[in-house]
Amino acid sequence: MSLFGSMNRMVTITINKNQYLAEEGEIFLLTAMRLNIDIPHLCYEKALEPYGACRLCMVDLVTCGKTTMTPACTIKVHNGLEILTDTPQIIKHRNLLFELYLAEAPKSEVIREMAAKYGVKKTRFLKKIVHEDPLLGKCILCGLCVRVCTEIMGTCAINFINRGPYTVINTPFFEQNPDCAGCAACAQVCPTKAIVFEDRDAERVMQSWSGTTVPLATCSSCKKSFAPEKLMHKVLDKLDPAIIEEIKSLCPECRRQHITRKVIRKVPKS
Amino acid sequence: MDEKTLDGIIEKYPYPAGRTLGILREIQLQERHIPMDTLKLVSVKLEVPLSELFALVTFYSFFSLKPVGEHLITVCMGTPCHVKGAEKILETLQGHLGLSGDTQDGKYLQTTPDNLFTVEIARCFGACSMAPVLHVDGDLHGYVTPERIPDILEIYGWKR
Repeated sequence: MSLFGSMNRMVTITINKNQYLAEEGEIFLLTAMRLNIDIPHLCYEKALEPYGACRLCMVDLVTCGKTTMTPACTIKVHNGLEILTDTPQIIKHRNLLFELYLAEAPKSEVIREMAAKYGVKKTRFLKKIVHEDPLLGKCILCGLCVRVCTEIMGTCAINFINRGPYTVINTPFFEQNPDCAGCAACAQVCPTKAIVFEDRDAERVMQSWSGTTVPLATCSSCKKSFAPEKLMHKVLDKLDPAIIEEIKSLCPECRRQHITRKVIRKVPKS
Repeated sequence: MDEKTLDGIIEKYPYPAGRTLGILREIQLQERHIPMDTLKLVSVKLEVPLSELFALVTFYSFFSLKPVGEHLITVCMGTPCHVKGAEKILETLQGHLGLSGDTQDGKYLQTTPDNLFTVEIARCFGACSMAPVLHVDGDLHGYVTPERIPDILEIYGWKR
């Protein structure tokens, strides 16, 4: 069932030989999560279309008695769907993938913890060690940050650079990018917490993106900086102009107090 | 590249299919590399984000961000050439021209300090019967041995 109540037909699906009810058209990974069936995953983000980049949510899809390995996030639930989540084939694939991730992002605690949970503690592969890596040796190149920057924020400040084993994510020419709004949506969606930024006085420094610096808006009431200016402009454009004037320059905390005071004043004293 | 030349190139591509890569290709051919300022100008004119263009330019080995020398030497590293000793050919070339074998971005494209030669590697020219082969400015040289390399380089103005 989705957040907004069930609109679609409920169908019967089979997971690991047990039957469950699920909503037709739902992403199978979400169904499994709801039913507490454990499927590890890194690159699923509900704000974006499923992409199947991390390959960790691989399950066996059974059709006419034959199994096909498919990422759970790309399967849509339909009547009679049959899935096996822990066949020896899947476990072998998953463990190998954990080993590869341990070598690709050796500094990532998220990967290490997740791998340890499935019993993978060591990797047979050569660990990728980059000196002064802006992404702290944690990036798995799932591309979520690039997609959120392009598809949701519409800024496209970062992208993949080079190819093959040399691929990295950064700003063009590895210099400060004026396109960046400093929204930090990239850091928010990053599954391995690889993207770092810091708020210093009245500016935000995106350390991972070649030190791109964006100014922060300052609250007119408490004088604290609270959100990147460019992001504020973007958000304010979407609001009712009547509301804007009053709360335009206030931080969320001051805004709350301001509105509360206004409402209280309107209430007649009994 | 000045704005006028760039506008001329852009005019040739009125349709979106193959537009970006076509324009970048012409810039690469005319300038022998993709200058940073030109790329920024293309981004503004085509309304394509700079990060997307930079991703394209760093992805394809055809594009280079540093100027390519007067003569472009392409060494074939396909399987038959490799078996016939292409590795040795490349090492000898590096030795004669004073280049290092390092690469930071995965593309092997190196230019001598005097900007006379650029050495790059490629996969299979389809001339495997003459392996190992190398290209210099489009001329194919087959059955190359490390001993023959100085003679080949001399044709293009290299001095011992």
